[in-house]
Amino acid sequence: MTPIVEGRDLTRAFPMPAGPVTALRDVSIAISPGEYVAIAGPSGCGKSTLLHLLGCVDAPTTGSLVFEGRDVARLTERERSRIRLTRIGFVFQRFFLLPMLSAWENVELPQAEIGIHPADRRARTRELLDYVGLIDRGHHRPSQLSGGEMQRVAIARALANRPALLLADEPTGELDEDTGEHVADLFDRVHADGTAIVVVTHNPVLAARAERRLAMKRGTVVSS
Amino acid sequence: MTSQALAWRTLTANPARGLLAVAGVAVIGALLFDMLMLSSGLLVSFRDLLDTAGYDVRVVATDGLPVLRVPIPHATALAADLSRQPEVQEVAVFRLDRVLMTMSGRWPEGVTLISVSEGAERHTWRITRGENLITGEGALERRPLVVSDRLATALSLTPGSIVRVRPTMSGVASAIPEMEFHVVGVAEFEFSMADDLTAATTRDGFEQVRAGRAPGNKDEADAVLVASRPALGSEAAVTAINRLRPDLRAYSNEQLVAQFNQNGFSYFRQISFVLSSITLGFAFLLVATLLTVSVNQRLSEMAALRALGFSRRRIAATLLWESAWLVGVGGLLALPLGGLLALELDRILRAMPGLPERLHFFVFEPRAVVRYLALLTVTGLGAAAYPVWVAARLPIAATLRREIVS
Repeated sequence: MTPIVEGRDLTRAFPMPAGPVTALRDVSIAISPGEYVAIAGPSGCGKSTLLHLLGCVDAPTTGSLVFEGRDVARLTERERSRIRLTRIGFVFQRFFLLPMLSAWENVELPQAEIGIHPADRRARTRELLDYVGLIDRGHHRPSQLSGGEMQRVAIARALANRPALLLADEPTGELDEDTGEHVADLFDRVHADGTAIVVVTHNPVLAARAERRLAMKRGTVVSS
Repeated sequence: MTSQALAWRTLTANPARGLLAVAGVAVIGALLFDMLMLSSGLLVSFRDLLDTAGYDVRVVATDGLPVLRVPIPHATALAADLSRQPEVQEVAVFRLDRVLMTMSGRWPEGVTLISVSEGAERHTWRITRGENLITGEGALERRPLVVSDRLATALSLTPGSIVRVRPTMSGVASAIPEMEFHVVGVAEFEFSMADDLTAATTRDGFEQVRAGRAPGNKDEADAVLVASRPALGSEAAVTAINRLRPDLRAYSNEQLVAQFNQNGFSYFRQISFVLSSITLGFAFLLVATLLTVSVNQRLSEMAALRALGFSRRRIAATLLWESAWLVGVGGLLALPLGGLLALELDRILRAMPGLPERLHFFVFEPRAVVRYLALLTVTGLGAAAYPVWVAARLPIAATLRREIVS
């Protein structure tokens, strides 16, 4: 099966005043459609850097990245934005919902960005808020929601344009254990519905639910 | 959701900051609008004042202030000569002198007494009470007088009042006998100074007052006003008059406005230019600071939007719209605010002595609004440039990483 995204010998070094710091070193990875992968490891081991490369928000210093058969290095900034908007969903540790918009509007926003018809947008937003169990909180602003509710809205937003790949960076990092488990349940459902998931986490419970677990240390994948 | 709507929601999410920003832009915009009105207002008003008279060429004996000018001799003959020129449609002789007017039981008042050719009264004053000057039989004995509202108030004059008039002699006490004049009407004078008392009489009345000071009918004029034939224009009339009487000075309204623009008006132009530049600078700094602070507070939010696939153009458009909302709403509020401020400033400036009552410093013109809106638009775009650049060049991954670490 052709992978959604495949990275070969990915290295990412950041220039620093005292000399470049290599956050990722010769990592090769492929994510197949519908796969659920967890990446674990200590802080600073390069998990988020790898996630950012897979999500086309950063470029490797060396190595190649192919997304759905297209070499990402050859894509323009606009084309990479389009891939992120239509093929990838992002879930952040700190949610990053737009505070001035309601939960409903936050979920609608990525759909509006690709020009989905308002009637279809409304139907999809209703479906997603229902999916994450927040249909009755649609008109609440993020400040009126709990951390778990905000993360569920963020997941609904990430799924808005039916992405092939959902990337989550410490999605339970800001949540208590029970709430984190609810979010993990939600990821299970998303996975069951056929969306590939890559989750970076410290949470062993969340990592345990993945089909494949990668352990990272000092910028390399040490076990899988 | 459009960039415009997103920008509006961003601004209204923090209403205190939005209102303060709009208020700041409104105040600065009002000052800018006023400065733009001032930059051309006096000139426009001066031009309007000249045009109102209905004469577009002025003939005088010498340059300089009216009170210091040498009078034009043989004015009646000159007026007749000018009337015969094909470029000339109408001629009026204008005479002016300073007199003392006395009403029993009141202190004498210094008054500017004028006389214009018959038929030119309609361009010079407008009767508000009583009648206009009478001519012909009985006029010589009655010595009719039309007085300004301010003079009527100062000496308690009404149509029917009799007032005593004596010519003044500069620097000496006058013992010239007084003459009685009959007030026939009260009028608004087009060119009267804000602090001046004005009266008008017939040519005969005027000559009698002058004869009291210097006996003999000298038939002098302080200025001769000419209306050119519209088909030929004022410049042709000026050329014709200069050819006919090279010893006199003839000026078209355009020439007078140009002279005024170069000399008396340059002060206001410079002031308004400096103040306009400063207010534009303030508007730029205010909006640029607000947007830059706002962007810096929302870097992670913008990085997240970029990670979600929102394009640089979309982020830039949203910020430009934020700037447009702030500058647009504040700028529109500035128009009525600036209008009110201009009324008050105009009132203060017009209280200066020696200025024609109808002269204004701040004149509303559509051109001033267009220039104001254009300057404000450029300022708004310029102010948004740096925050837009910051947001568009934002490194997504580094910003998200920084947010997590912080």
